[in-house]
Amino acid sequence: MSKPLRIALTKGRLEKDTVGLLEKMGFDCTAVREKGRKLILQIKDANLEVVLAKAADVITYVEHGVCDLGVVGKDTIMEMNGNFYEVVDLGFGKCRFALAGKKGVDFYGGYGVKTIATKYPNVARSFFEGKGMDVEIVKIEGSVELAPLLDLANGIVDIVETGSTLKENGLEVKEEIANISARLIVNMVSLKLRQKEIEDLIRRIEENLQ
Amino acid sequence: MRNYYLITPEGTKDLLFDECIIRREIEGKIHNIFKTRGYCELITPGLEYYDVFNVNSRYFPQESLYKLIDNRGRLLVLRPDSTMPIARVVATRLKDAALPLRLYYNQCVYTINPSLTGRSDQIAQMGIELIGSSSKMADLEVISTAIDVLSACSDDNFSLEIGDVGYFKEMMCLLDVGDDVKENIRYLIEMKNYPALNDLIDSLGDNRVNSALKQLPRLFGGEEVFEKASELFSNSKTDEILSNLKRLYKDISKLNSKGRITVDLGMVNRTDYYTGVIIKGYLAGYGEEVLSGGRYDKLISEFGYDVPATGFAVNVNAISALIAKDNKKRTKPCDVIVFAGAGFEIKAIKLANKMRAKGKVVEMALCDDLKSVREYAKEKNISEIVIVDEDYSGGEKNV
Repeated sequence: MSKPLRIALTKGRLEKDTVGLLEKMGFDCTAVREKGRKLILQIKDANLEVVLAKAADVITYVEHGVCDLGVVGKDTIMEMNGNFYEVVDLGFGKCRFALAGKKGVDFYGGYGVKTIATKYPNVARSFFEGKGMDVEIVKIEGSVELAPLLDLANGIVDIVETGSTLKENGLEVKEEIANISARLIVNMVSLKLRQKEIEDLIRRIEENLQ
Repeated sequence: MRNYYLITPEGTKDLLFDECIIRREIEGKIHNIFKTRGYCELITPGLEYYDVFNVNSRYFPQESLYKLIDNRGRLLVLRPDSTMPIARVVATRLKDAALPLRLYYNQCVYTINPSLTGRSDQIAQMGIELIGSSSKMADLEVISTAIDVLSACSDDNFSLEIGDVGYFKEMMCLLDVGDDVKENIRYLIEMKNYPALNDLIDSLGDNRVNSALKQLPRLFGGEEVFEKASELFSNSKTDEILSNLKRLYKDISKLNSKGRITVDLGMVNRTDYYTGVIIKGYLAGYGEEVLSGGRYDKLISEFGYDVPATGFAVNVNAISALIAKDNKKRTKPCDVIVFAGAGFEIKAIKLANKMRAKGKVVEMALCDDLKSVREYAKEKNISEIVIVDEDYSGGEKNV
């Protein structure tokens, strides 16, 4: 058997969903399910080597070609950019990027330059650049919802799933920015050098998505 | 404040010993390939006026250029590419030279990369430009040279890919949408972003061109690609492009016995000044292409001289990095160390030169006494010590 294809999975929910998908495809993923503290695992019958990493690192590993494939959220892809092929929308891990602010306050009102708090400065910047609007962006690491409540920011750009956190804190979605779901990404050279194996895998994944 | 006096700027590094040996070996091989095909070397300045690269601002986004200002306030850049400066030279000093011109270079290019991505901002590149011919033979010459370079730099574990932007450009001409949308489509095809491309094109309605564009990023692989492509979309122009490319593909497949030759009709880079056949080279173990090039028939006319051209550049850094992975030791100890007794310095230098003329690597001892010479020779693995003093007669072997 040839050298296994190496796939990086985003630890946590996307990892579980991907394992579910691989099992649906008929592969034995016991090694990944019972991984303990190991970070590199084998799925022998699929000839896959699974690497578990944080979302942003999945992109880094795939870009540098040390992993052939990766499963990562569109949110991370939008924030990081980079050179890789984004071949399949896996359909799970769905949520959206939105601009939110205090309920009942007109976000766009007034002349002042708005301050935006976010964990995703690049997404926020390109969203407002697209509108030709100057904003000040403040990077926040934890609960972004705090920033408008503490009057540090006029609005936030963040991932919204159900919107309940926003609601409980007196915030509301002002504008949708983009829909998010998990994507299968491929290193540009791997796709060319191992075309057949990767295309076969992509086809089988696509068949099992519907 | 001198916070940064012990380190090099991000994206740059010092190369030491073995790294230099590997780099020079590769350069030597490639030099040889270029020279034996009649190419002549050109060195252009590291600094150029910004205007040289600003003929079409899309080729080199200003965010990625290292910029400086000269003593008269004019904007300079560290060259981000060697083809533009060579186009400038061809359109000026070489305007009256007999065609075709076969030119090659071995110099660094500079790009600002986003920080902390582990990419080099300074990349050693070697490449050729074949100027003044739009013939099939010229394309074949450049591609076969590219194959020779890849094959010399790897254990034949390489892949060369050809494509032609003309197929994509022709379809885009028939698409009735704004430039923004076109650029978006191009980007999604380049990134092989199948889902987003499908969504975007579905929103434009359903017709022959649209459904062909959706499949474009998947049009890569072997010879079967040509058939798929002509089934998807065909008019007199694309038929001609495809049949030329197919002929080229068959020709180079005959030529190359070891590496893999593939086709990708979805190669549609933004920075392209390419007008026809394009090529990319990949080596196993390196995550990006190591070689890229193609035909750029309109570029030199931007400098006022309308002449067709084709060429490629190869990333010497990348190849060096791959070869360095073998961890072989390449630096060798020197052969002889010569120790001069007091008053015999000149005699010792003359003797050392005599040995060097015979091809030996000879070092002069800088220690004061023989004991420390012996210790030094042992540490540096030098097998022979020659002592030049009043009773000098021959050499001394160091065990």
